Amino acid sequence: MAKKQRGETTSSSKTPKIVEQTDNFSLMLTSSDDEEPEEVTFEDAKTEALRSMKLALDGARREKELLKEKRRKRQELFQEQKKRKLLPADVLEEIDSAPSKKQKESEDEAEEEDQEGEEESRKKKNSKKMAHSRSLKGNYTVTTVRERASASCQQQTAEDFLRSRLYGPGSCRTTSNELLSLQNKKGKNKSAAVQFVKKDWACKEKAKAEKMKKRWIHKQQVSSC
Amino acid sequence: MGEFKVHRVRFFDYMPCAISAMAFNRHTERLAVARADGAVEVFCFADNYFQEKVIPGQDGRAVEALCWVGQRLFSAGLNGEITEYDLENLRPRYTVEAYGGPIWTISSNSQGTLLAVGCDDGTVKMFEILEEIIQFQRNLDRQKGRIISLSWHPSGTLIAAGMMDMIRIFDAETGHTTHRLLVERGVGASKSKEVVVWSIVFLSDHTIISGDSAGKVQIWDGFTGTLVRTHLVTKWDVLALSVSPDESSLVAGTSEGTIVQFQFLSSTVDQQDKEWIRTRTFKNHSHDVRALVHTDTAVVSGGMDTQLVVRPLLDKVEKKTQESALRKIAFPHRNLVCCAKKAGLLLFQFPDHLEVWRVGESDGHGKPGDSLLVKRKPEKLIQLKTKGEDHICCSALSPCGGWLAYSTVSSVRLYRLQYNNNISITKVSRLPKELRWAHQLCFSSDSSKLFASSTHSTVVVVALNQLECKYLQTLKPKSGSRQPVHLLFASEDGKWLASANTDCEVHVYNLQKLKLHCTVPVYNSCPTAVAINPATSNLVVAHADQQIFEYSLVQKEYTEWSRKLQKQGLHYLWLERDTLITNITFNPKNPAHIILHDMFMFCIVDQSLPLPEAKAILYNQMTLRSLPEPERIRHSHAFKICKNFQHLLCVTLLEDHSLVVVERPLLEIMSQLPAPVRQKKFAT
Repeated sequence: MAKKQRGETTSSSKTPKIVEQTDNFSLMLTSSDDEEPEEVTFEDAKTEALRSMKLALDGARREKELLKEKRRKRQELFQEQKKRKLLPADVLEEIDSAPSKKQKESEDEAEEEDQEGEEESRKKKNSKKMAHSRSLKGNYTVTTVRERASASCQQQTAEDFLRSRLYGPGSCRTTSNELLSLQNKKGKNKSAAVQFVKKDWACKEKAKAEKMKKRWIHKQQVSSC
Repeated sequence: MGEFKVHRVRFFDYMPCAISAMAFNRHTERLAVARADGAVEVFCFADNYFQEKVIPGQDGRAVEALCWVGQRLFSAGLNGEITEYDLENLRPRYTVEAYGGPIWTISSNSQGTLLAVGCDDGTVKMFEILEEIIQFQRNLDRQKGRIISLSWHPSGTLIAAGMMDMIRIFDAETGHTTHRLLVERGVGASKSKEVVVWSIVFLSDHTIISGDSAGKVQIWDGFTGTLVRTHLVTKWDVLALSVSPDESSLVAGTSEGTIVQFQFLSSTVDQQDKEWIRTRTFKNHSHDVRALVHTDTAVVSGGMDTQLVVRPLLDKVEKKTQESALRKIAFPHRNLVCCAKKAGLLLFQFPDHLEVWRVGESDGHGKPGDSLLVKRKPEKLIQLKTKGEDHICCSALSPCGGWLAYSTVSSVRLYRLQYNNNISITKVSRLPKELRWAHQLCFSSDSSKLFASSTHSTVVVVALNQLECKYLQTLKPKSGSRQPVHLLFASEDGKWLASANTDCEVHVYNLQKLKLHCTVPVYNSCPTAVAINPATSNLVVAHADQQIFEYSLVQKEYTEWSRKLQKQGLHYLWLERDTLITNITFNPKNPAHIILHDMFMFCIVDQSLPLPEAKAILYNQMTLRSLPEPERIRHSHAFKICKNFQHLLCVTLLEDHSLVVVERPLLEIMSQLPAPVRQKKFAT
């Protein structure tokens, strides 16, 4: 109810403005509210409607085509990347016939480890043939693989977890220099922070301090003369 | 006496590793300490805390927990493997992959039959401990979070596991959870972070005590699964807990470096209602305390500041005795510096590489106490990195500087060095198959032979020619000891070789006949340094309990001086020193001098002077200097101690009679440690 009322009030407030505008136009144009609407033939209206419909359809079709194009391009890109990742065709053929799952896993892991190193993995296979391989029936061998990739990844995550809990954000840590400085301040013979006392500590800070000193002296000289 | 020109060497950037885990074996009184680089050290507490054995680390072996099962030592780490160590051959015996991701904790039941490991994937895996190996038995129920800490109930029926935000109690038979105890998160900003239960202890009265990352030590009732009491101990994490064998005292180590003790006492006079009351606080460390052990009489702690601290509890030991002193072990008890006396070269042993330096030169003379100008600076000649993952176990440089050898747990490598215009290093490729690995390496004084200690106290002798190496002989002691050799010394005249093993035996071999010459009578403390006096052919041995013996090799008996020393006894201040003698050298100009050093002092023992009385001042060098000449002779005694140089890693004498003092001040080490916690102190 309230909305309707509001609607009414707004519309009533709007109309006088519009009327004003048309009034302004009426000064310029010959048409006014009293005159009857223009006559438009049926043919014109039909062509008008058809044209607008065609435009709309064309627009929609163009959009669809654009989307298709995009999708096709993306698919191609993915295929290309996949091709790059896969081994050369001849090696794939060799493996293809065999039910050697293990070997496939080894290839995959080799892929993961070293994207560029297809040759390397082949070499690895060949070199490992001697030491850790067992030959089955047919043209393929089974070799052991060092599962360093996944194991070290988990180890890295665990180490990161430990480090973030002890030294990560919110752990309220300070530097060794501050700790030693505190000890210096509270000790029997109070002395300066260790950073300043030791010659080869905090070289960067000392260099920065030197630069600032030079800049300040230069400024003083410039301002004096 | 004469003055010495002293080369103060401070370019050895020795950085010890942080302690990540510890385990104490009550029956043998040995403490196993695991460091962050994977090295495992065994300290013998009964023998003045001597570092008996060191098993070198390996890249990638990040040990998180250690566990003794009888005499066997197991470790588990973030690489997902459980390792058993061979303590006779100082290497890992085997590793077993747990297939649960990184392992955070390992614990065995009190019967010694099962080993439980807590893994990152949320499983507690049980392994059966068999004679030669461990075998996977089963998994307990898999949980959603990682298992950070474990504790068996002494009966072996229940296991308490500390995880993220909670503690679970498992029934060891069925593998199901009986109780789930929820741990509160911290207040304020840490409410959004999960709380990690870093350590947990299960007592025999079914009380569970946990320490977590919110800084709380909480006491739970294991029967009902309810919280009894919370103690907020620190603003940072409580990283380690340890309970005494009689379960009356508990210590908690924090990230601040403090150790808080709780004791099971009754607040009223009668014995009825005992509870855990916070009693003492020790601040032994400047950085996080990551490992704690509570023995019958002391609290042993170690952490990120790399020092091992033993704090005897004053209510368990007699006050004001040697027993009750605080002990800090900062440096290893073996030599990491090898000096090529004829060439003036120093070899520094790091875990993963070796450095060869030439000492500097200086002209000029001066009064005692002057610093001379350095004419030629010391320079690093060679830096040799190891191949592979294993860390270096031992290394040696021949006296002429022409040969360099090092050994890891898997192989020995020998290199020929040449110092023409440029320095060249060539590897000797074919080594004899008897030279597989060594615990100690030593070159003969004429650089013609290499001695390598092998399994069961045997020593392998190989001859060195221009570029090749030939096996000569394996020297075996008669005692058939299975312990490894930790000290080797070849005499200057090339006649004798002395070897000492961790069974406290010292054997001397005749190198001309290549067989055993004699065995020194066994003294019940382990030798920490051996040397043979070139002028008198006397063997001088320093032991872990600070005793010194001199044994004549020609007559095969203790010397007159040694008997006199034993009869009179060493000065009490000498016996109360808490760091051990790691190196003994002699002065060619004066055969009556023995030069010894420990971490805080070096001492010249003059055998021609009288021994100090018990009432005499031991550190009398300053007072002697103030006295006029004739008076000095009356007051001087045999032990001349100099404390000018700190902290000493090695003191040796070069052929040109200048002293080389390798110092590594503890301040330098401390400055390179990881970040400590920020504590706001009033008025700073």
